[in-house]
Amino acid sequence: MSSLYDRLGGEGAVNAAVELFYRKVLADGRIAHFFDGVDMEAQIAKQKAFLTMAFGGPNNYTGADMRNAHKRLVERGLNDSHVDAVIENLNYTLRDLGVPETEVKEVADLANSVRDDVLNR
Amino acid sequence: MTLITHEGRPVDVAPGETVLEALLRAGVNAPHSCRAGNCQSCMHRAIDGAPPPESQSGLTDAQKVMGYFLPCICRPTTPLTISRPDDLGASFEAVVRAIDPLSDDIIRLRVEADGFAYRPGQFIELSAGEGLKRHYSLASHPEEDPFLEMHIRLHQEGRMSRHLAEKLQAGDKVHVAGPSGSCFYEGVDADQPMLLIGAGTGLAPIYGVLRDAFRKGHRGPIRLYHGARSRKGLYLSEELQALSNSRENFDYRPCAFDPTAPHGGDVAATALEVEQSVSDAAIFLCGGENLVKRLKRDLFMRGASLKNIRSDAFTPARA
Repeated sequence: MSSLYDRLGGEGAVNAAVELFYRKVLADGRIAHFFDGVDMEAQIAKQKAFLTMAFGGPNNYTGADMRNAHKRLVERGLNDSHVDAVIENLNYTLRDLGVPETEVKEVADLANSVRDDVLNR
Repeated sequence: MTLITHEGRPVDVAPGETVLEALLRAGVNAPHSCRAGNCQSCMHRAIDGAPPPESQSGLTDAQKVMGYFLPCICRPTTPLTISRPDDLGASFEAVVRAIDPLSDDIIRLRVEADGFAYRPGQFIELSAGEGLKRHYSLASHPEEDPFLEMHIRLHQEGRMSRHLAEKLQAGDKVHVAGPSGSCFYEGVDADQPMLLIGAGTGLAPIYGVLRDAFRKGHRGPIRLYHGARSRKGLYLSEELQALSNSRENFDYRPCAFDPTAPHGGDVAATALEVEQSVSDAAIFLCGGENLVKRLKRDLFMRGASLKNIRSDAFTPARA
């Protein structure tokens, strides 16, 4: 059985998903304010890194990296409801791209696996 | 062992080691995060030597041409001199050639800087005296003009403005460093529609890009929107109107603030109303920070790819 990343289509799949995903996030009133004033180019690269991780692709993130990257957002009120919203947008993105439900679930599980690090707890 | 030079300091890269690993091992506080070539947190620029192509994966064509690369996936086999991405490097002496008015509060500064390589639309740091440094975009073309051309708005209380208006004269020496910025004609398909939006002196880089596009034989439709606070601020309008009349694929849309005009003459609102289909366009945005951010976000949300949006936002001088 090939890896989730390969089944999804590897880097090409990440590239196809990342702008769609970022548009959904920016259009979502629950979480859009966390992205006010950010540099969009820098942000989309980070979104790509996140999707690569969630797709089971190559990454070397450590828990500490995740904690540091989100520390200031947690101070600004980032909580479980926001992580839920991000994963929901990720699910919609994958469905838009015709990804089967089994894989959608696997991606959501991987994204969920970094929840505690993201929320610094 | 490959040698890299980081901000003047030699760092050895062991076989198989990445530049990021070598920098961290050498005690350099290099920013990084994913260590897999995706998040771009560690991006650096090679100012001498060519980084391996695989270390430029995911970067824009403009960034690749400028030598940007990702240290976390860079295993160099030849020496590199690298700097932080925002480092403009050494400065060069230049001589003021002419200072001329373009409107009631915008001047055109032309300086001669022999051998200074740049792409039209990039910006430089102009240094006109102790502590007097500002970034300005280039409207000139290196293959057509024997000078660097900048368009500068004069602010009544601005130190550089007063220096330019009251002291600086043809023949005076200044210094230029750079260039930097990825707002130039690269990675554009000759048949692609181009959308150029500049506000105020944001026309300078846009004008440079336009000239470069013509020179490189761009065939797709080009629409240029220039926003100004008043009709007087629509400088270069005669030249642009003449170009628009003589070039079938070029359309010039001046927008000056005017309560009776559609959208009050606001350039962003005007462009956003007309430009409904932007997913295939090569987009260039230059002007104040708020305007550029608003346009970038709105154009992205209606389908433009961020890779196709090049922008340069002006920030006010701090002192």
